[in-house]
Amino acid sequence: MVTPGVNGRPRRLRWVAVAQALLWSAIGLGAFLLLAESVQNSSAFDRLRPWILLVDFGGVIVLSVLLARKLWRLVRDYRAHVPGSRLTARTVGIFGALVIAPLLIVYLSSLEFINRGIDSWFKVEVKQGLNDALGLSRAALDLRMREYSVRTVALAAALSDAVPAEVQSRLDAERRASQATEIALFGPHEHILAASLDGPLEGLPSQPPADLVRQVQQRRPYVSLEPRAGGHYLIRTAAALGDAGAGHDARFLVAVYPVPAQLAALSEAVQSSYHQYGDLAALREPLKTSFRLTLTLVLLLAMLAAIYGAIFSAQRLVRPVQDLIEGTRAVGKGDFGTRLPLPSRDEMGFLVHSFNDMTKRLRRARAEATHSQQAVERERERLAIILARLSTGVLAIDRSMTVRTANEAAGAILGTDLSAASGRSLPELAAGNERLGQFVAALAVRFAGGREEWREQLDLDGATGRRTLMCACTPLPGEDADTGFVIVFDDITTLLQAQRDAAWGEVARRLAHEIKNPLTPIQLSAERLRRRLLAGMSERDAEILERGTRTIVQQVQTMQQMVNAFSEYARAPEMQITRFSLNQLITEVADLYRSQAPRTRIRLDLDEHLEGIEADRGRVRQILNNLVTNALEALDGVGTPTLEIATRLEPGADAKYAAVTVCDNGPGFPRELLGKVFDPYVTSKPKGTGLGLAIVKKIIEEHGGRIDADNRPEGGARVRMVLPVKDSTRSATGGARERLDQLRRERA
Amino acid sequence: MLRGDATRDGLIRGWLLTTTCVMALASWRPAYGDALDGVLEVRSAYVNLDRGVFVLYARIGYPMSPAIRRALRDGLTLTFDLEVRVDRERRFWFSMNIVDLTLRRELSYHAVSDRYVVRNSKSGAQENFATPDEALEYLGKVDAWPIVVEPQLDGGNYTISVRAGVRRGHLPASLRAILFWTNDWARVSEWYSWSLPV
Repeated sequence: MVTPGVNGRPRRLRWVAVAQALLWSAIGLGAFLLLAESVQNSSAFDRLRPWILLVDFGGVIVLSVLLARKLWRLVRDYRAHVPGSRLTARTVGIFGALVIAPLLIVYLSSLEFINRGIDSWFKVEVKQGLNDALGLSRAALDLRMREYSVRTVALAAALSDAVPAEVQSRLDAERRASQATEIALFGPHEHILAASLDGPLEGLPSQPPADLVRQVQQRRPYVSLEPRAGGHYLIRTAAALGDAGAGHDARFLVAVYPVPAQLAALSEAVQSSYHQYGDLAALREPLKTSFRLTLTLVLLLAMLAAIYGAIFSAQRLVRPVQDLIEGTRAVGKGDFGTRLPLPSRDEMGFLVHSFNDMTKRLRRARAEATHSQQAVERERERLAIILARLSTGVLAIDRSMTVRTANEAAGAILGTDLSAASGRSLPELAAGNERLGQFVAALAVRFAGGREEWREQLDLDGATGRRTLMCACTPLPGEDADTGFVIVFDDITTLLQAQRDAAWGEVARRLAHEIKNPLTPIQLSAERLRRRLLAGMSERDAEILERGTRTIVQQVQTMQQMVNAFSEYARAPEMQITRFSLNQLITEVADLYRSQAPRTRIRLDLDEHLEGIEADRGRVRQILNNLVTNALEALDGVGTPTLEIATRLEPGADAKYAAVTVCDNGPGFPRELLGKVFDPYVTSKPKGTGLGLAIVKKIIEEHGGRIDADNRPEGGARVRMVLPVKDSTRSATGGARERLDQLRRERA
Repeated sequence: MLRGDATRDGLIRGWLLTTTCVMALASWRPAYGDALDGVLEVRSAYVNLDRGVFVLYARIGYPMSPAIRRALRDGLTLTFDLEVRVDRERRFWFSMNIVDLTLRRELSYHAVSDRYVVRNSKSGAQENFATPDEALEYLGKVDAWPIVVEPQLDGGNYTISVRAGVRRGHLPASLRAILFWTNDWARVSEWYSWSLPV
């Protein structure tokens, strides 16, 4: 398993870095191309300038936002003590200081250099020198201009009085004398009256400029220096003739003189320098501002890029460390599937490789441990199933008698629910449970005596009688001294009872067989003796014989009754199963005994839902007779003898049962006899064979039922028997008789 | 989730800041033509067909201020451009440009002669004037400037657009790249356009 969070991040980071690098390269290249295009084409410059600015400032803003975001995250992580954030912050601080300090020094130095450098271009001496040169050029030209102006004025004065026929010749003469390129006489409305040109084929004289016309109309002489293409100069002079007309009607003379080539070249050089200086001087402040802004922008971009790059680089450097920390945490939480991406093949890569190798080994070890644990769990579950199905009680306790494990059978035998007893103290659980208390006391006595491994039979007395347990204790193996013990016990009460029953049955059978046979000859012999000897004997002897034989006959009859009882106990006649109403049978028996014992109050509490049962009616009647007889005998001498017979239809797990309870308010069973009242020859009455309840129990067990006897809390005895309603239930569960037969076979 | 809310708020704040900065940048305009204050417009323009050649007549108002006068006298050169575009209109697509011409002239002060010189950048021909106003008047009149010959227009509707511009001239290319921060000596007029059905 590969943790996606750890593995996916570097790939994403790499893509982000590549995308950002491409974006910034595109922006930079675009801005450069725009700038190159704009400086080549002035019209494009105006169009592209806002876009260049937008790109530049947009880049700064985007970079600032990205940087602010990164810084904010860095601060957040630093405050939250995110692993790696301190190392990143420290690296960024060092990188930033290393980059920003030189940048600031270079920036400030450059600013100072630019200010001083640009100022030095426009020194006052240069300006003054240019102005002086300009003044010198003007002075040199002014001299010539004044000279030409004077000549023109003189010529105009001379032409004022000249007749028209002389004008042309005078103009030609003057042009040749003064080396003018053209001299022209203009009349009203600037009509050419006469002209003399240097080259007659060149055409007409040049049109006088408007300012010239204005000035001569005001009768002021005009002179101007006119720059021409190619660095040539012309001096144009004009003067009005002394006519009477004025304004537009006035005649005026215009002469154009060339400036010597050397003087023109020098003047042009001065003019050119003046021009260049003027262009540059106008750029002085804009240049400074532009340089400052450019430098500031470059500094800003460089600083932002440097800090951003520092953060980015630091995060890339720290990323493997963060991955290692996250991976270690994941391993700490039990996630051994963490695999870190290999950042490089350097020492960090070796470390990450070792980490991955370690997690791989841990994963394998955990898989083996899980497999073993599952095997143990399966064994444990199997053992638990076996323990649960065992009829033998199994109890594991530690040395402080705290329960560690107990199966259901243990609880059933000890008469308490031990399903939730794990972790609880056994003496604590024994509070209020007499049988468990005796069990705990027996264990405590043995542990106190230092006995850790023993096997004994324990007799536990309780309200429902004595229970006999075959108990074995073994210390649990283990290195820890406080591992505890496992106690295995069986309730052998029933087994012992069955053994006793079987023994008594055998005794009864032998008695019936061995004793019954001689009794009849003894009785017959005694009667014959009396019959033969009685007539010939004296009265005294006859009386002695008579008493003796009568005693023999009576005792033999008594013994025969006893033997018959034993015989009945031992014999197992076939049961005649019929369906009859138990309630009706009980009513009949009660009516019979009401007449025989009128003092005794016999009360019936019969369940109407109990309609009928399948059983041997005669033997059930015998049971009822025995029980009622026993109760009536027990009630002898009681003030208000009361006998209660109750029936209930009880649903069982697999079938329905008829429960019959016979209670009296007599003295109850002696405590020492509880648990043995159904044994033969156990009786508290001076008379009787002691087989009544034993036979009752035998008949009930043959019907597949059970019987218990105890004393009521308010006083008196209570016998409760349960019979299956249907005979099929008896057949399925197996009767006590079959079990007894089995026991007998085992004994044989 | 507190952390999630904080992150979202931070992102929103970041985007708000970015948007504000971009809008501020977009609304910022460099101080165009602060030094060239005054009216700059194409007042009228039309074309005449003269022997198969369309010639342009235009009247342009150029600004003139004490600052310009002072700058001119200090040796600064101003460049005056008159741009002409002839576009053929297309019904479902952008117009197609047929002609894109620029008449470029420079005005400078000639300190030696104390005159203002207007020079055609292309032909080199120059005129000089006693005052800057006369020079501007000259510059503002464009007569019979041939812009397109008849065979270039083969039917359809055409749009003729004229725009005037003035800026600082004679800037070395190396300085122009740096000076683009403070381009306060450059202005252009609105386009003056009209249709020419042929």
